[in-house]
Amino acid sequence: MQIIKKTNLKGYKKALELGPGGIIDLLLRKNVTGRGGAGFPTGKKWEMVYQAKADKKYIICNADEGEPGTFKDKFIFLNNPEAVIEGILIAAHTIKTKNAIIYLRGEYEYLKDKIQGVINRVCKKLNSKVKIEIYLGAGAYVCGDETAIMESIENQRGHPRFKPPYPTIEGLYGKPTIINNVETFANVSLALAFDDYDSTLRLYSLSGNVSSPGIYELHYGIKMSDLVKLGKPKNKVKAIFFGCFGGCLPYSELPLTNENVCGQDCMLGANTIIVVDEKQSMVDVTTNIAKFYEFESCGKCTPCREGSMRVLALLQNISLGEATKKDFETLKELTEVIKESSFCGLGQTSMNHIITAIKYFEKEFLDKLK
Amino acid sequence: MKIYLDDKEIECDENKTILEIARENGLKIPSLCYQTGLKPEARCRLCLVEVNNRLIPSCATKPSEGMHISTKNEKVLRARRVNAELLMGHHIDKCEIQNEKHDLCTLISDIGIKEVRFDPKKEYQVDLGAAVVRDDNLCINCGRCVQVCADVQATYAIDFASRAHHEHVTPYCEKDLTEVACIKCGQCIAACPVRAISEREHLQDVLKALKDKNKHVIVQTAPSIRASLGEEFGMEPGSLVTGKMVAALRKCGFDKIFDTNLGADITIMEEASELLERVKKGGPFPMITTCCPAWIKFMEHFYHKYIPHMSSCKSPHEMLGTLTKKYYAPKANFKEKDVVVVSIMPCTAKKFESTRPEMDSGVDFVLTTREAARLIKHFKIDFVNLEDEDFDAALGISTGAATIFGATGGVMEAALRTGYELATGKKLGKIEFDQLRGLKGIKEGSIIINGLEVKFVAANGLHNAKEILKNKDKYHFIEIMACPGGCIGGGGQPLPVNEEIKQKRMNALYTDDANLKYRKSHENPIVKHLYDEFLDKPLSEKAHELLHTCYFERGL
Repeated sequence: MQIIKKTNLKGYKKALELGPGGIIDLLLRKNVTGRGGAGFPTGKKWEMVYQAKADKKYIICNADEGEPGTFKDKFIFLNNPEAVIEGILIAAHTIKTKNAIIYLRGEYEYLKDKIQGVINRVCKKLNSKVKIEIYLGAGAYVCGDETAIMESIENQRGHPRFKPPYPTIEGLYGKPTIINNVETFANVSLALAFDDYDSTLRLYSLSGNVSSPGIYELHYGIKMSDLVKLGKPKNKVKAIFFGCFGGCLPYSELPLTNENVCGQDCMLGANTIIVVDEKQSMVDVTTNIAKFYEFESCGKCTPCREGSMRVLALLQNISLGEATKKDFETLKELTEVIKESSFCGLGQTSMNHIITAIKYFEKEFLDKLK
Repeated sequence: MKIYLDDKEIECDENKTILEIARENGLKIPSLCYQTGLKPEARCRLCLVEVNNRLIPSCATKPSEGMHISTKNEKVLRARRVNAELLMGHHIDKCEIQNEKHDLCTLISDIGIKEVRFDPKKEYQVDLGAAVVRDDNLCINCGRCVQVCADVQATYAIDFASRAHHEHVTPYCEKDLTEVACIKCGQCIAACPVRAISEREHLQDVLKALKDKNKHVIVQTAPSIRASLGEEFGMEPGSLVTGKMVAALRKCGFDKIFDTNLGADITIMEEASELLERVKKGGPFPMITTCCPAWIKFMEHFYHKYIPHMSSCKSPHEMLGTLTKKYYAPKANFKEKDVVVVSIMPCTAKKFESTRPEMDSGVDFVLTTREAARLIKHFKIDFVNLEDEDFDAALGISTGAATIFGATGGVMEAALRTGYELATGKKLGKIEFDQLRGLKGIKEGSIIINGLEVKFVAANGLHNAKEILKNKDKYHFIEIMACPGGCIGGGGQPLPVNEEIKQKRMNALYTDDANLKYRKSHENPIVKHLYDEFLDKPLSEKAHELLHTCYFERGL
């Protein structure tokens, strides 16, 4: 696996040779992109922060891996944490800052000491003056949102901020901030350390009703069926969910590229694949996911706060066979409005699973209506 | 900058928000959480418009060159409708119980919701504070109260807690309002679009007293009420309704109707004398006014180290309340215990004030302007068509200086009119202090009294107060009113309220002042009489016993 190759801090040494401009160029040339889900070119983000004028700048490593079915960041921290820390130090060198924070998911508290040890070791080895702090989240899903993370670090309620301004201009404490995912920082080190770095490799978190769940490193654009087969499904596969927020697609041989997936109202996101088989009811699966959103909405905006509760109630009614055709229409309208009008990414994507489940498996819902 | 609003090309100011621009161009966009002058929170999602196939909140978005904005296509209207319906879900059936039409109801009928498909789900305990009552079951989480408490009043008594649909407004650590540093200013009440926050009602107590044959019930009305009460009966904001108000209260059955303005005149006599005393002694400066009980509580929580700077004067209605019981009652042959004093105030903090033990308050019940209107409506009095009547004499007459207490800067102006003339023995040429008038948050100036340049400043809104307290040593005399605009914008005043309405109420008070015979407190013949017969002179032992009070550190 490329992701667990040890760089022996060669990436950082290369970074010192290249200087900020050279680092950014190399990241753009090697096509390193964000692995948190949006896929924004890393070099471009760093350049914006590099160009921004400010007395202080910050780096945040987003390790709030809260998306259900996603566990790649944990895998990286367990198997190649040096690459992540090295990547953060490269970023610090690029934008000339001494302040970096790892925002670690609350449930990963048990990793904290291990990561702290790696920070101490790597910083000492590289004689770096950069202060990398670990900030432990408290378990809120919304704190995976880049601006909610900043609010959380500033000791505010974990609520998303209105954008613009974007974090590259006004981020943590109002200062220009690089915020990248764990996997992105690791890839930065790898891209700088190795000439044969392959930017098309992705980490897939495969789970669901399969015998061999786990992290699989495969090429971007792999066929859905090839990926799912690696997990050894227990029954005949019906569909896959791209985490909770990415929606679902019927099982097929579709190559998993952004174009293919987005075109069908889904999102590839952080390559989370949850396998659903024919023994599972789509109504039950969506109800289960809806429960997650009903619990995790931050409460800030009306559609997500109130809507997620109403949607869950409607789905539970359908599931119990107590809902009418009119309730189903209400559900559809609600999901669309929540998607269109919520404040942040959490709310905007929180209905994808229902919208796509209804799009591809509407009959399962209709069969349960009164 | 050029943009397209519903396909119509318009020139606009790029620094304004889309909401402001649309409204200037006559387009109706509903909004709920957005409050003029404060940072847009963009949480209610009712002011959505469409740009590039995306719905964005118009309150928080500024235009860019050539932007195409749809303010009323089907997608926009549906999102507004569904979001409003979601908000109404908790609220709808309770809202029908309330007769008073509030902002949300108006908004809902504008948005055009015919049916609400969702049932109420909330089950919270009502927080019965001493002055401010919160019913979370009516709350729609718009956040206006939270924002006002933090950004206008700098008090941070309430905030949101929990997440998802469990999110709710609460004082610190789910305590009751009485247990936290809430200053009872009632600005959250004025900000609430659904009346989830309201005053602690004393209406029933007053009705009971009015029915009791053995009680002699006296009502007093604050300066600012006369400029706002009419609004409750559909009259234009800024209508001066002194005469109708007195007539209506007499019809309600009050035995005597006194004007708190007399209390204000006495406050001025005491406060101006206190200031001159400090000028003589050389301090401590600045001296800070204490008419506003919300400011007092704020000071006791956050600025108790300034207690030596505070004037020791009770607020005007407390002074009048005490004088009613101690001076008027024996004179009119009533036992003190049979006299009930009701104050009609623009304020919720006054309710708290009259329960302060050290105040030894002569006031039994405080009604807000809104409660007074409810009382008048209870007796089915045709307020608008009443003939004017006069306050009861003896403790009735007062000056213009007292009437302007109701506006920010008014106390200071009144005190300077009297202070100057008492100190110098000379007449003031121009008695209007224009630099102290208007709705600005901070107003300052100076006046030479016996060779000393006395620097004064008036602040309204506690965020502004905090600003001037940073440089307090620059001044000799500071007036602080907690509510934006002063008492005319008080937490007990008619709703809805906005800057324009406040300005009209303020104008009415200054007009009242200009038309009065006596415009300086020390020229009020009743005040002179009171001092001659009863109080001796300002700051006398008797005056100290009855008209002054003290303050405490309250902690957080």
